[in-house]
Amino acid sequence: MAALPRRIIKETQRLMQEPVPGISAVPDESNARYFHVIVTGPEDSPFEGGLFKLELFLPEDYPMSAPKVRFITKIYHPNIDRLGRICLDILKEKWSPALQIRTVLLSIQALLSAPNPDDPLANDVAELWKENESEAIRNAKEWTRRYAMDN
Amino acid sequence: MGNCFKRSTTDDISLLRGTDSVRETSSDPVGPPSYQEALSVQSTPPLYHPSPSVTRSVTQLTEEEQIKIAKRIGLIQHLPTGKYDGCKKIRECVICMGEFMVGDALRYLPCMHTYHVTCIDDWLMRSLTCPSCMEPVDAALLTSYETN
Repeated sequence: MAALPRRIIKETQRLMQEPVPGISAVPDESNARYFHVIVTGPEDSPFEGGLFKLELFLPEDYPMSAPKVRFITKIYHPNIDRLGRICLDILKEKWSPALQIRTVLLSIQALLSAPNPDDPLANDVAELWKENESEAIRNAKEWTRRYAMDN
Repeated sequence: MGNCFKRSTTDDISLLRGTDSVRETSSDPVGPPSYQEALSVQSTPPLYHPSPSVTRSVTQLTEEEQIKIAKRIGLIQHLPTGKYDGCKKIRECVICMGEFMVGDALRYLPCMHTYHVTCIDDWLMRSLTCPSCMEPVDAALLTSYETN
Protein backbone atom coordinates (compact mmCIF):
# COMPACT_ATOMS: atom_id res chain seq x y z
CA MET A 1 0.00 0.00 0.00
CA ALA A 2 1.16 3.52 -0.75
CA ALA A 3 2.64 5.66 2.04
CA LEU A 4 0.17 7.40 4.30
CA PRO A 5 -0.46 10.96 3.08
CA ARG A 6 0.85 13.69 5.38
CA ARG A 7 -2.69 14.97 5.83
CA ILE A 8 -3.89 11.71 7.38
CA ILE A 9 -0.89 11.65 9.74
CA LYS A 10 -1.56 15.24 10.74
CA GLU A 11 -5.28 14.73 11.29
CA THR A 12 -4.62 11.65 13.39
CA GLN A 13 -2.08 13.51 15.55
CA ARG A 14 -4.45 16.42 16.07
CA LEU A 15 -7.31 14.08 16.96
CA MET A 16 -5.11 12.51 19.62
CA GLN A 17 -3.72 15.81 20.95
CA GLU A 18 -6.96 17.81 20.96
CA PRO A 19 -9.80 15.29 21.04
CA VAL A 20 -13.32 16.48 20.31
CA PRO A 21 -15.46 16.50 23.48
CA GLY A 22 -17.71 13.46 23.49
CA ILE A 23 -15.95 11.79 20.59
CA SER A 24 -13.05 9.38 20.46
CA ALA A 25 -11.44 8.24 17.22
CA VAL A 26 -8.53 5.82 17.34
CA PRO A 27 -6.77 4.45 14.27
CA ASP A 28 -6.66 0.67 13.94
CA GLU A 29 -3.30 -0.87 14.80
CA SER A 30 -2.98 -2.61 11.48
CA ASN A 31 -4.66 -0.04 9.21
CA ALA A 32 -4.07 3.67 9.72
CA ARG A 33 -6.99 4.50 7.41
CA TYR A 34 -9.49 2.67 9.59
CA PHE A 35 -10.70 4.38 12.78
CA HIS A 36 -12.57 2.95 15.74
CA VAL A 37 -14.95 5.71 16.80
CA ILE A 38 -17.08 6.20 19.89
CA VAL A 39 -19.62 9.02 20.00
CA THR A 40 -21.45 9.80 23.22
CA GLY A 41 -25.15 10.52 22.87
CA PRO A 42 -25.69 14.30 23.15
CA GLU A 43 -27.34 15.74 26.26
CA ASP A 44 -31.06 16.43 25.99
CA SER A 45 -31.39 13.94 23.13
CA PRO A 46 -33.00 10.50 23.32
CA PHE A 47 -29.48 9.12 22.89
CA GLU A 48 -28.13 10.74 26.07
CA GLY A 49 -26.12 8.35 28.20
CA GLY A 50 -25.38 6.04 25.28
CA LEU A 51 -22.00 5.18 23.84
CA PHE A 52 -22.27 4.60 20.10
CA LYS A 53 -19.58 2.70 18.24
CA LEU A 54 -18.88 3.65 14.65
CA GLU A 55 -16.32 2.71 12.05
CA LEU A 56 -14.69 5.29 9.82
CA PHE A 57 -12.61 4.51 6.78
CA LEU A 58 -10.55 6.94 4.72
CA PRO A 59 -10.69 5.80 1.09
CA GLU A 60 -7.67 5.78 -1.20
CA ASP A 61 -8.42 9.22 -2.65
CA TYR A 62 -9.26 10.91 0.66
CA PRO A 63 -9.61 13.91 1.02
CA MET A 64 -10.87 14.13 -2.56
CA SER A 65 -13.67 11.81 -1.54
CA ALA A 66 -15.48 11.61 1.78
CA PRO A 67 -14.67 9.20 4.62
CA LYS A 68 -16.94 6.18 4.81
CA VAL A 69 -18.69 6.10 8.16
CA ARG A 70 -21.13 3.61 9.65
CA PHE A 71 -22.75 3.06 13.04
CA ILE A 72 -21.89 -0.31 14.49
CA THR A 73 -24.10 0.12 17.56
CA LYS A 74 -27.80 -0.25 16.75
CA ILE A 75 -29.56 3.10 16.89
CA TYR A 76 -33.17 4.23 16.45
CA HIS A 77 -32.81 7.31 14.26
CA PRO A 78 -34.66 8.40 11.08
CA ASN A 79 -31.42 9.17 9.21
CA ILE A 80 -29.57 5.99 10.12
CA ASP A 81 -30.68 2.66 8.69
CA ARG A 82 -30.54 -0.81 10.21
CA LEU A 83 -27.11 -1.41 8.68
CA GLY A 84 -25.82 1.71 10.39
CA ARG A 85 -25.53 3.71 7.19
CA ILE A 86 -25.89 7.42 7.72
CA CYS A 87 -27.85 9.87 5.57
CA LEU A 88 -25.79 13.03 5.84
CA ASP A 89 -25.18 15.45 2.96
CA ILE A 90 -21.51 16.11 3.77
CA LEU A 91 -20.78 12.40 3.43
CA LYS A 92 -22.24 12.50 -0.08
CA GLU A 93 -22.82 15.41 -2.42
CA LYS A 94 -21.77 18.14 0.01
CA TRP A 95 -18.36 16.68 0.74
CA SER A 96 -15.45 19.09 0.44
CA PRO A 97 -11.74 18.40 1.03
CA ALA A 98 -11.74 21.28 3.52
CA LEU A 99 -13.77 19.04 5.83
CA GLN A 100 -11.98 16.65 8.15
CA ILE A 101 -12.53 13.54 10.26
CA ARG A 102 -13.17 15.94 13.15
CA THR A 103 -15.86 17.93 11.34
CA VAL A 104 -17.52 14.80 10.02
CA LEU A 105 -17.81 13.31 13.50
CA LEU A 106 -19.12 16.60 14.91
CA SER A 107 -21.79 16.63 12.19
CA ILE A 108 -22.79 13.09 13.08
CA GLN A 109 -23.05 14.08 16.74
CA ALA A 110 -25.19 17.04 15.72
CA LEU A 111 -27.40 14.71 13.67
CA LEU A 112 -28.13 12.80 16.88
CA SER A 113 -29.31 16.04 18.49
CA ALA A 114 -31.39 17.02 15.48
CA PRO A 115 -32.97 14.06 13.66
CA ASN A 116 -34.39 15.03 10.29
CA PRO A 117 -37.38 12.78 9.47
CA ASP A 118 -38.04 14.70 6.25
CA ASP A 119 -34.89 13.27 4.69
CA PRO A 120 -35.16 9.70 5.93
CA LEU A 121 -32.97 6.69 5.45
CA ALA A 122 -34.91 4.46 7.81
CA ASN A 123 -38.45 4.96 6.52
CA ASP A 124 -40.38 3.23 9.28
CA VAL A 125 -38.51 5.20 11.91
CA ALA A 126 -39.01 8.47 10.02
CA GLU A 127 -42.73 7.84 9.64
CA LEU A 128 -43.24 7.26 13.32
CA TRP A 129 -41.02 10.25 14.09
CA LYS A 130 -43.35 12.44 12.05
CA GLU A 131 -46.65 10.91 13.15
CA ASN A 132 -45.99 10.28 16.80
CA GLU A 133 -42.81 11.96 17.92
CA SER A 134 -43.14 11.09 21.60
CA GLU A 135 -43.45 7.37 20.81
CA ALA A 136 -40.47 7.57 18.44
CA ILE A 137 -38.41 9.28 21.13
CA ARG A 138 -39.47 6.58 23.60
CA ASN A 139 -38.23 3.92 21.16
CA ALA A 140 -34.96 5.78 20.65
CA LYS A 141 -34.42 5.94 24.41
CA GLU A 142 -35.25 2.26 24.76
CA TRP A 143 -32.79 1.30 21.99
CA THR A 144 -30.14 3.53 23.57
CA ARG A 145 -30.63 1.75 26.88
CA ARG A 146 -30.66 -1.68 25.29
CA TYR A 147 -27.80 -1.39 22.81
CA ALA A 148 -25.66 1.61 23.76
CA MET A 149 -25.23 1.25 27.52
CA ASP A 150 -23.09 -1.06 29.66
CA ASN A 151 -21.23 -2.77 26.87
CA MET B 1 -0.98 37.38 -10.87
CA GLY B 2 -1.34 35.42 -14.09
CA ASN B 3 1.58 33.09 -14.17
CA CYS B 4 -0.10 30.65 -16.49
CA PHE B 5 2.55 31.15 -19.13
CA LYS B 6 5.40 30.38 -16.81
CA ARG B 7 3.70 27.21 -15.70
CA SER B 8 2.98 25.81 -19.09
CA THR B 9 6.56 26.49 -20.14
CA THR B 10 8.01 24.60 -17.21
CA ASP B 11 5.60 21.79 -17.94
CA ASP B 12 6.81 21.59 -21.52
CA ILE B 13 10.41 21.55 -20.43
CA SER B 14 9.87 18.82 -17.90
CA LEU B 15 8.06 16.74 -20.49
CA LEU B 16 10.95 17.16 -22.91
CA ARG B 17 13.47 16.34 -20.23
CA GLY B 18 11.46 13.29 -19.38
CA THR B 19 12.00 11.87 -22.82
CA ASP B 20 15.61 13.04 -22.87
CA SER B 21 16.41 11.32 -19.63
CA VAL B 22 14.96 8.11 -20.96
CA ARG B 23 17.14 8.13 -24.04
CA GLU B 24 20.33 9.72 -22.82
CA THR B 25 20.68 9.78 -19.06
CA SER B 26 18.59 6.85 -17.99
CA SER B 27 21.30 5.85 -15.54
CA ASP B 28 21.10 9.22 -13.78
CA PRO B 29 19.01 8.61 -10.66
CA VAL B 30 18.36 12.32 -10.05
CA GLY B 31 16.97 12.94 -13.52
CA PRO B 32 13.43 14.32 -13.59
CA PRO B 33 10.33 12.27 -14.55
CA SER B 34 11.41 8.70 -14.71
CA TYR B 35 10.94 6.20 -17.45
CA GLN B 36 8.67 4.16 -15.19
CA GLU B 37 6.34 7.10 -14.74
CA ALA B 38 6.16 7.63 -18.48
CA LEU B 39 5.39 3.95 -18.89
CA SER B 40 2.66 3.81 -16.28
CA VAL B 41 1.00 6.89 -17.78
CA GLN B 42 0.88 5.09 -21.09
CA SER B 43 -0.31 1.75 -19.85
CA THR B 44 -3.22 2.94 -17.66
CA PRO B 45 -5.70 5.35 -19.25
CA PRO B 46 -6.23 8.46 -17.12
CA LEU B 47 -9.13 8.52 -14.66
CA TYR B 48 -11.68 11.32 -14.56
CA HIS B 49 -14.42 12.29 -12.12
CA PRO B 50 -17.53 13.72 -13.82
CA SER B 51 -18.81 14.21 -10.26
CA PRO B 52 -16.85 13.81 -7.01
CA SER B 53 -18.02 10.29 -6.27
CA VAL B 54 -17.86 8.98 -9.83
CA THR B 55 -14.57 7.69 -11.20
CA ARG B 56 -14.27 6.63 -14.80
CA SER B 57 -11.51 5.77 -17.18
CA VAL B 58 -11.21 8.21 -20.07
CA THR B 59 -12.42 5.50 -22.41
CA GLN B 60 -15.67 5.05 -20.46
CA LEU B 61 -16.81 8.67 -20.42
CA THR B 62 -20.04 9.56 -22.20
CA GLU B 63 -19.86 12.36 -24.70
CA GLU B 64 -21.69 14.62 -22.27
CA GLU B 65 -19.17 13.88 -19.54
CA GLN B 66 -16.28 14.49 -21.93
CA ILE B 67 -17.66 17.94 -22.73
CA LYS B 68 -18.17 18.68 -19.04
CA ILE B 69 -14.58 17.74 -18.27
CA ALA B 70 -13.17 19.63 -21.25
CA LYS B 71 -15.01 22.76 -20.07
CA ARG B 72 -13.66 22.24 -16.59
CA ILE B 73 -10.09 21.96 -17.83
CA GLY B 74 -10.56 25.16 -19.84
CA LEU B 75 -11.97 27.02 -16.88
CA ILE B 76 -9.29 25.89 -14.46
CA GLN B 77 -6.66 27.29 -16.79
CA HIS B 78 -8.24 30.74 -16.44
CA LEU B 79 -7.74 30.78 -12.69
CA PRO B 80 -4.65 32.76 -11.69
CA THR B 81 -1.60 31.02 -10.27
CA GLY B 82 1.45 32.30 -8.48
CA LYS B 83 4.25 31.36 -6.14
CA TYR B 84 4.09 31.57 -2.36
CA ASP B 85 6.14 34.56 -1.24
CA GLY B 86 6.02 33.95 2.51
CA CYS B 87 2.93 36.13 3.03
CA LYS B 88 1.74 35.64 6.60
CA LYS B 89 -1.96 35.90 5.83
CA ILE B 90 -2.13 32.46 4.31
CA ARG B 91 -0.12 29.68 5.86
CA GLU B 92 -1.64 26.31 5.20
CA CYS B 93 -3.25 24.49 2.31
CA VAL B 94 -6.43 23.07 3.84
CA ILE B 95 -6.47 20.25 1.30
CA CYS B 96 -3.11 18.63 2.10
CA MET B 97 -2.84 20.39 5.49
CA GLY B 98 0.75 21.24 4.61
CA GLU B 99 2.24 24.64 5.37
CA PHE B 100 2.99 26.77 2.34
CA MET B 101 6.72 26.98 1.63
CA VAL B 102 8.26 29.89 -0.22
CA GLY B 103 8.18 29.06 -3.91
CA ASP B 104 5.22 26.64 -3.73
CA ALA B 105 2.92 26.91 -6.76
CA LEU B 106 -0.43 28.34 -5.63
CA ARG B 107 -3.78 28.85 -7.29
CA TYR B 108 -6.11 31.68 -6.33
CA LEU B 109 -9.86 31.16 -6.62
CA PRO B 110 -12.22 34.09 -7.33
CA CYS B 111 -13.35 34.00 -3.67
CA MET B 112 -9.67 34.59 -2.80
CA HIS B 113 -9.17 31.23 -1.13
CA THR B 114 -5.75 29.89 -1.99
CA TYR B 115 -4.42 26.35 -2.35
CA HIS B 116 -1.51 24.44 -3.81
CA VAL B 117 -2.06 24.15 -7.56
CA THR B 118 -1.83 20.36 -7.51
CA CYS B 119 -4.19 20.05 -4.53
CA ILE B 120 -6.94 22.33 -5.82
CA ASP B 121 -6.73 21.17 -9.43
CA ASP B 122 -7.32 17.63 -8.28
CA TRP B 123 -10.52 18.82 -6.59
CA LEU B 124 -11.67 21.21 -9.32
CA MET B 125 -11.48 18.35 -11.80
CA ARG B 126 -14.22 16.73 -9.68
CA SER B 127 -16.24 19.76 -8.65
CA LEU B 128 -15.98 23.42 -9.60
CA THR B 129 -16.51 24.70 -6.08
CA CYS B 130 -14.24 26.26 -3.51
CA PRO B 131 -13.62 23.64 -0.77
CA SER B 132 -13.60 26.33 1.93
CA CYS B 133 -16.63 28.46 1.09
CA MET B 134 -18.44 26.21 -1.41
CA GLU B 135 -18.76 29.09 -3.84
CA PRO B 136 -19.21 27.80 -7.40
CA VAL B 137 -15.99 28.77 -9.15
CA ASP B 138 -17.48 29.15 -12.63
CA ALA B 139 -20.19 31.60 -11.59
CA ALA B 140 -17.72 33.62 -9.53
CA LEU B 141 -15.28 33.75 -12.42
CA LEU B 142 -17.97 35.12 -14.74
CA THR B 143 -18.97 37.76 -12.20
CA SER B 144 -15.37 38.84 -11.76
CA TYR B 145 -15.08 39.29 -15.53
CA GLU B 146 -18.27 41.34 -15.66
CA THR B 147 -17.29 43.66 -12.84
CA ASN B 148 -13.75 44.26 -14.09
